[in-house]
Amino acid sequence: MKLTIVKPLTVVMAFLALPMSTFAASGAPSWLQETMFASGKINTVVMVVSTVLIGIAIWMFALDRRLGKLERRMKEQTNAGQH
Amino acid sequence: MKGWWWKLLSVVLLLYVVIVGLGTPLGPALVHASIDRIAPGPISLEATGYNTHFAANTPEVWLENDGQRVCATDVKVLSDVQFSADFNVPEGFRTNLTSLWAWDAADGQVVLREAFFTQGLGTGIAQDDCVVSDAARTSFAFPNRSILNETIRNLFFHVPMWFTMMVLMTIAFWQSLLVLRSGDLVADGKALSAVDVSLLFAALGLITGSIWARATWGGWWTSDPKLNGAAVTVLIYAAYLILRGSVPDPHKRARLAAIYNIFAYVLMMVFIMVLPRLTDSLHPGSGGNPAFNQYDLDSTLRAVFYPAVMGWILLGIWAYTLHQRTARLRSIYDEANDR
Amino acid sequence: MRTAEIAHLLKLEWQLDRRQKHAWGSMALYVVSTIYVCYQGVRHLFDIPIWNALFWIILLFAAFNALGRSFQRENTGRQLYLYTLASPRSVVLARTIYNGITMGVLSLLSLGAYALFIGSSPMNDARLDIFLLVVIVGGIGFALVLTLISALAARAGNGVGLMAILGFPIVLPMLLSVMKASKLALDGLGWDITGKYVLWLVLIDLITVALAWLLFPYLWRD
Repeated sequence: MKLTIVKPLTVVMAFLALPMSTFAASGAPSWLQETMFASGKINTVVMVVSTVLIGIAIWMFALDRRLGKLERRMKEQTNAGQH
Repeated sequence: MKGWWWKLLSVVLLLYVVIVGLGTPLGPALVHASIDRIAPGPISLEATGYNTHFAANTPEVWLENDGQRVCATDVKVLSDVQFSADFNVPEGFRTNLTSLWAWDAADGQVVLREAFFTQGLGTGIAQDDCVVSDAARTSFAFPNRSILNETIRNLFFHVPMWFTMMVLMTIAFWQSLLVLRSGDLVADGKALSAVDVSLLFAALGLITGSIWARATWGGWWTSDPKLNGAAVTVLIYAAYLILRGSVPDPHKRARLAAIYNIFAYVLMMVFIMVLPRLTDSLHPGSGGNPAFNQYDLDSTLRAVFYPAVMGWILLGIWAYTLHQRTARLRSIYDEANDR
Repeated sequence: MRTAEIAHLLKLEWQLDRRQKHAWGSMALYVVSTIYVCYQGVRHLFDIPIWNALFWIILLFAAFNALGRSFQRENTGRQLYLYTLASPRSVVLARTIYNGITMGVLSLLSLGAYALFIGSSPMNDARLDIFLLVVIVGGIGFALVLTLISALAARAGNGVGLMAILGFPIVLPMLLSVMKASKLALDGLGWDITGKYVLWLVLIDLITVALAWLLFPYLWRD
């Protein structure tokens, strides 16, 4: 249930993680080394993209919690109503 | 799930933006020369490029000063990104800043602008211009601009945050108009949700901008019209939330908040439209800044920038609908419980 | 829009203020004591940007103080009386005009006191005509923007504290441009450069009045 909200984000994150993990393994193809990691400035881009994704993820978790609280309250309500 | 297609579209667009926006190489450029001043006589220098392909295509190298060219007498390629060149600098250049140019078949023309402080000025050099090639590069790559370099990719991740924020604030503005027309509490909830989500995107825009400013300008914050506009926007909507918090009666709250929102939105829009035109700005893309105004968005950037704006705006609207639906459910639930 | 009604309301405001003289006195006292505190802190200022910035900050807070009570003093009886007699648009226009005049006068008074205590040497090379115009237009601009905000804060029942929070971000753009314009005028630059700032200030003032005129009826009715 909760996963359906996070899913698109997970996909995006997975794609972002792809070039980073290849870099970490240092078996990166030469074009990647050339385009992404040749200059120090690419770190800024990586930080910016991560910030955006982390920000949206935090927001999603907050929304998730709000929904969860509401769900719990509704559940308690129906339980109380049955008794 | 009615109307799901635009949600899917936003994900597809953002996937495209992440893959193409981060995967496309940056175009070639000259980034460094071993000397920074030249005087009449023979000189020798080494130059460093970025993403260039000198090894396979020996470059033509020349100096240019106020439209007058002097070609290198000898060029030795050291690697794909390095060459050394010898010049016989003549007397009589007209301006005191000389640029270094190179051309090779793979990269087209690359330039290090205003690379050398020039001595021995006069009314122009006597010798004829040398002939140089100008065939352009054909590969798909983002332009490599001074100062920005790789961070030009932030165009797809920082700038659309502000676009999304503006779209959400416009939604809030529209809902506030509806509140004043009909006193509708649902519209008030929509306005609040739009403001809430727009503040998320404002925060992301501020943080990403700050990270870039720290890396490029050396400070987290500078006094710049665009940054001032962003700060004012965030303050206005924070004040909007505080105003809401201080009025207990929901109908009165809806009306007062709507009035403030409309008032603030119109003034803010006027401010954001007009003020950057009144003062100079260091911000990339602003007029009056010599480092940037000679370039507009080129077609390769546009091919990613427009989908990025579209994708982020759709994602923002999606987030807004989720927020609004949750809030609506909660208010329905609360109402049912009060009864 | 009824001009006679607005004129009548303006007269009413004036009579009311004349009856309670302490209102004007408190405004003047606030400005003078603020300037005097600044004088104790900095003595004479010769640096144009700092002199300019301090002046506008003092004037900004004076405006918040003066206009904070614009709708606060309304007791329910008087409000009900106005509500039955006059259209809300006339009320807000009259109040805006009255506040504009008040702030225009108050900004000139503040400038006088400021020049007396903190020093007038930065005005030596200034284009005085432009500078005075900017001061008046800026002061009136503060009044126009803050009139609606003051009414909002009074309606929200949270007084001057809320007004500062609501008003500050909206006044900030105006403050930035007015500081810039007056700095240019103090530097002795002519109309060709300061003109566009003054025009922009007048534009904001007009938009503000238009918005107040449009929105106030929704605020007024309960």
